Amino acid sequence: MPTTTTPSLIRVLMRPLRRAVVFAAVWWVVAEADPEGWVFGIPFVALATGASLALTPTREWRIRPVGALRYAGYFIQQSVLGGIDVSMRAIKPSLPLDPLILRYRMRLVPEYARVLFADTVSLLPGTLSSGFEDDTMTLHVLDCELDVEQSLRDVEQRVADVFGLDLSAEGGELAAIDGGAVGDCR
Amino acid sequence: MIGWISIALIATGAFFFMAGSTGVLRFPDVYTRLHALTKADNLGLGFVVLGLSLRADSWIVVLKMLLIWSLVIVAGATASHLVAEAARMSNVPPWRKRS
Amino acid sequence: MKVVLIGFASVLMLTVIAGLIRVERGPNPADRMLAAQLFGTTGVAILLLLAEAMEIPALRDVALVFALLAAMAAVAFVKRAWHPGPHEKGDPS
Repeated sequence: MPTTTTPSLIRVLMRPLRRAVVFAAVWWVVAEADPEGWVFGIPFVALATGASLALTPTREWRIRPVGALRYAGYFIQQSVLGGIDVSMRAIKPSLPLDPLILRYRMRLVPEYARVLFADTVSLLPGTLSSGFEDDTMTLHVLDCELDVEQSLRDVEQRVADVFGLDLSAEGGELAAIDGGAVGDCR
Repeated sequence: MIGWISIALIATGAFFFMAGSTGVLRFPDVYTRLHALTKADNLGLGFVVLGLSLRADSWIVVLKMLLIWSLVIVAGATASHLVAEAARMSNVPPWRKRS
Repeated sequence: MKVVLIGFASVLMLTVIAGLIRVERGPNPADRMLAAQLFGTTGVAILLLLAEAMEIPALRDVALVFALLAAMAAVAFVKRAWHPGPHEKGDPS
């Protein structure tokens, strides 16, 4: 809904319609394009649309196609690296681990963006999000020698680009937790 | 030829599943094990889905497998976040090297 | 080719069994919860392989349900079974 001149009635009607189209597309894939599947599909698309409107009546976010595509490419690349990294640590006889828990002060403000950020961080090499406290995200890091701060800032920027958000809020740096210091490799 | 590429991709996927389970067995605490499980198994499933996609009869089956894979990724990342958070709240101590 | 696919499914089954050793050892409930995720992801891969090998497309639907149930199980576990609420922080129970 890019324009402000759209009559509000149309916008009100568009919201359920748009969601119904998304659910119908999912059903079409799940039913493997079998036309008979619509006997069950239509009632369930209606139910799913109703449930979705009841649970999240207004959608706060807008997805920017270019940002989303860039994010997808980055995500695939990083999750491959993340999988290889942790697999190598698991099978090496020396078991190279030196974990620590850190906090990162997020610049992303909206909750939906923070959720995508946390989920992305968990699939990156060596980092696992493990909770939110106010404006910070707690994360577990497999190896204290990883340059976590730089990659977190990078991910945060890419998540911001998906939704067209700007990162003017304060933050974007790591904070120590549990008495340890950042980069403390004891 | 496509058959062999498909097999190679599925074998790569199986490797990541094996590495993931190895991590779950060898890693010292629940946090490190969560790393192994989420990252290695999601990548393993990705390779299996890619390998099977090359053999699939129709595009819709490929789309369906990709849908399942993306559900597993979202569910896995969110679940590991919740389990790690619950472990921290219950004071499960994180393992530290030489400490 | 069918045999090869079933072979890979069996290898994945073995990785699930290896993971079960962790469930058995624990030591804490979160370690056991890892099993639900392990079953979820590996189970989905096994079912997709079998759907192709045995030509039973319905197994893909089972895989879909597995993917959803694993997520539900994890959330239910965290919210109800193990940790009753978010207010116990710092409470050494």
